Order: sequence, then C-alpha cells, then structure tokens
Amino acid sequence: MNAPDRYERFVVPEGTKKVSYERDTKIINAASFIIEREDHTIGNILRMQLHRDPNTLFAGYKLPHPLQYKIIVRIHTASQSSPMQAYNQAINDLDKELEHLKKVFQAEKIRIENISL
Amino acid sequence: MVGVSYQRFPTVKIREMKDEYMKFELRDTDASIANALRRVMIAEVPTIAIDLVEIMSNSSVLNDEFISHRLGLIPLVSKKAMEMRFSRDCDACDGDGQCQYCSVEFCLNVRCEGDQTLDVTSGDLRSFDPMVMPVDANIGKDFDEDSVDPSIQKKSGIIIVKLRRGQELNLRAIARKGIGKDHAKWSPAATVTFMYQPEIHINEQLMETLTLDEKEDWVESSPTKVFDIDPKTHQVVVVDPEAYTYDDEVIKKSEAIGKPGLVEIYPLEDSFIFTVESTGVISAYQLVINALEILKQKLDAVRLSDDAQENDEQFGELRQHLGGVL
Ligand SMILES: [Zn+2]
Repeated sequence: MNAPDRYERFVVPEGTKKVSYERDTKIINAASFIIEREDHTIGNILRMQLHRDPNTLFAGYKLPHPLQYKIIVRIHTASQSSPMQAYNQAINDLDKELEHLKKVFQAEKIRIENISL
Repeated sequence: MVGVSYQRFPTVKIREMKDEYMKFELRDTDASIANALRRVMIAEVPTIAIDLVEIMSNSSVLNDEFISHRLGLIPLVSKKAMEMRFSRDCDACDGDGQCQYCSVEFCLNVRCEGDQTLDVTSGDLRSFDPMVMPVDANIGKDFDEDSVDPSIQKKSGIIIVKLRRGQELNLRAIARKGIGKDHAKWSPAATVTFMYQPEIHINEQLMETLTLDEKEDWVESSPTKVFDIDPKTHQVVVVDPEAYTYDDEVIKKSEAIGKPGLVEIYPLEDSFIFTVESTGVISAYQLVINALEILKQKLDAVRLSDDAQENDEQFGELRQHLGGVL
C-alpha cells in the first residue's frame, strides 16, 4: 500500500540534480560529490580510477543507506590538481577505456568468426 | 595537466561464443571494471517484457493476476530494446506507455472446444510487431509436419495455463522496455560470472622429495582436478589451473605433510575469465556490447554540469584573492 515506487531506485526526481558538488570547508583541495540514483557500479569504478591518479591523495565512496539511492564520492587531491579536475579526468579515462573495450570486443568477434569459417 | 591520461587498454580473448553463451578472457584492467560490467549485464541492460495486462475474459482455473505475472516472465526478443524509449520518458504518449515508440501490443484469445485439455502457451500470443515475439516463437515451425510421433508435433512454447472444455482466456497485453533493477523479468542475463585467473607454481625441487604415493595423496587432496601425475616421469603437473576454486586444500595438505611451500597459488589481479549466459532475448555477445554502452551512458550522466564547474572556478579565484585565508 505505502511501498515506494520501484522506479525511485533509478529515476532522479524532478528538481534534483544528478551530481552535486560540495567543497570541504576545512581542507583545501578536498570535496564530496553526491551522485543521485547510482550505486557500487559507478562508485567503485570511479574510486579505482581515481586511485590511478598520482595527484589524488584520497578517493573513496560510500552508499550511506540502502534505501537512500545515492552515493557520496570523496576526493582529496594534491595542490597541483583539484577534486573537480580529478573527477573529470577519471570519468574521461573510464569513458575511453570502455570505448576501447567495445572496439576490442568487436574486433575479437570478427577474428573468432573467421577462424570458425 | 592537459593531455595527461591514466587510461588503460584492456584486451579481450573470446574462448567460446554461441548464441546464448559466451566465455571470454578480460585482461589488463581491474576488478572494479569486471564487476561493473557484470552488474550492468544483470541489472541494467534493457529488454522488453509484458508490463500491463487487460483481461477481457478469464474462465481458467488461474486468477487474473497469476496469469498476468506469468505473462510478464515470458522472454521476448529484445533486439529493439536499446533503441526503444522508456514509457516514463516518452513524450509521444505523455507517459501513457501505449505508443509505438515505447510499447508493443500483444493479444491472446483462446477457447477450449474439445474434450482434451488445451495448453495455452507463449505461442498463442499474437504480436503487433514482428520484431518483438516470444523467444521460442519459431521453434514449433522447425518440426517436420509428417513427424510420426504426435507428441512432438504438439506446439511448443512456454505454457501459461491449461483449459478444459468451455473455458476461455481473452486478453490484451502491453510490453514495455525496462531493466532488471526495476523487476527481474527484464533481466537479459541468466548467469554472468567472472573469476580471477589463477597462477600456479609448483616447487619442483621440494615436490621431488615426495614418494609417488605421497604425490598421489597430495594430488587427490584437491577437490577439483587441478593437478595430475605424469605417468612416465611421475612428476606432478598442472592440468587445469582454472579448475582451482581458491579452496586452499592443497596448501593445507602441504603443511599437513610437513612440506609447506610445495605449491604457490595466487590470483592474477588483472586477468578475468567471464562466463555469460543470456536468457535468449538478446545474444550473449550483444549483452556484453550493450552493457559496455550502458556503462558509458551512465558515466556520461554523472559528469558535472557546466554551472557547477564555473561556480567552482569563481570560488577558486576568490580564494586566490584572499591569499590563503580560506
Ligand atoms: Zn510512448
């Protein structure tokens, strides 16, 4: 009767931002990114990609509560970079990796089909 | 900082590829990517499934919602799903979910007239779109009409309900695009798993201090057939490293017989072996490709908006003006 709609898990409510950015008030170059309607799928790949960036001093994510459909990604960088720069860089790199993976997969499929012919 | 990239270039090797099954190696990436891919395949690659049922008449032994639930679970060919719209963000029908861009109509009208029990199956569903049909729709047609065994000649498909004389089922169903996160009926994945590729090193020198009986005992201690003994040289060899389930049994056995370090096994942290089985609504290969596409779209959606970035730049200038006060 009072169960929340199933789509609430993945549809961003109207008037809510998908990503909001909150700069840390005490530490320079530290910030939190609150990402609505995402989970470990995005949180973990972002975190691991940020760890590849030597300017990132800290990167972590949490899913605050299983019924709050959002994740919080916290980034702390060295002074040469900024959390926003690191965040954008991580997304760009992941995007390129997935694009590469797609191409590699398509090429591999063609290779496999030629062998079996 | 421009031009800096920490991008990886993963490699893929397909070991086996059938319509609904695929096994492949994924290398030079990490577990987060492998797991994201697995999660997206199970819960976020869209398919088409019956979502709304309007029952005109139902005199069968099953109630309306029981039949509606069964209809929802029938796998429908979903090649079209990636291009289709979700009903909730379709502007052609104002979210009504009944237009050609976001839905496919089906109807089913069966009445039992004979004395024999009549099976109502997914084959009785009539689709208004030839691209979207129950997955097994063409199986029946492959049967030889003159087949001797009449039981094989019977129509195939997924059974929905059985009718006796005089009972009927007449309904209209709307199939929509959806994802497994919403309801498992939309999941295109039967099973998707991955494992770390194990690297196994036998300490040959230490192994040779064992008698043949001890070697046999040691080989047998593994619950899966990972090792064997060469019948000629009596040497212990690795026959199937991937059969290893990270159970540690051979390592415990080595310690138990007072020979720790007989074997060293560790997972290669950048190599994964994937097994993908689809439900048949799309091919296993297409499932992987669609998952990569969906994951890319998800990443694009979490990019920061321009105004958020501008605000931050202004804030940065302000900080410079104040010279370290902040
Ligand atoms: Zn529509």
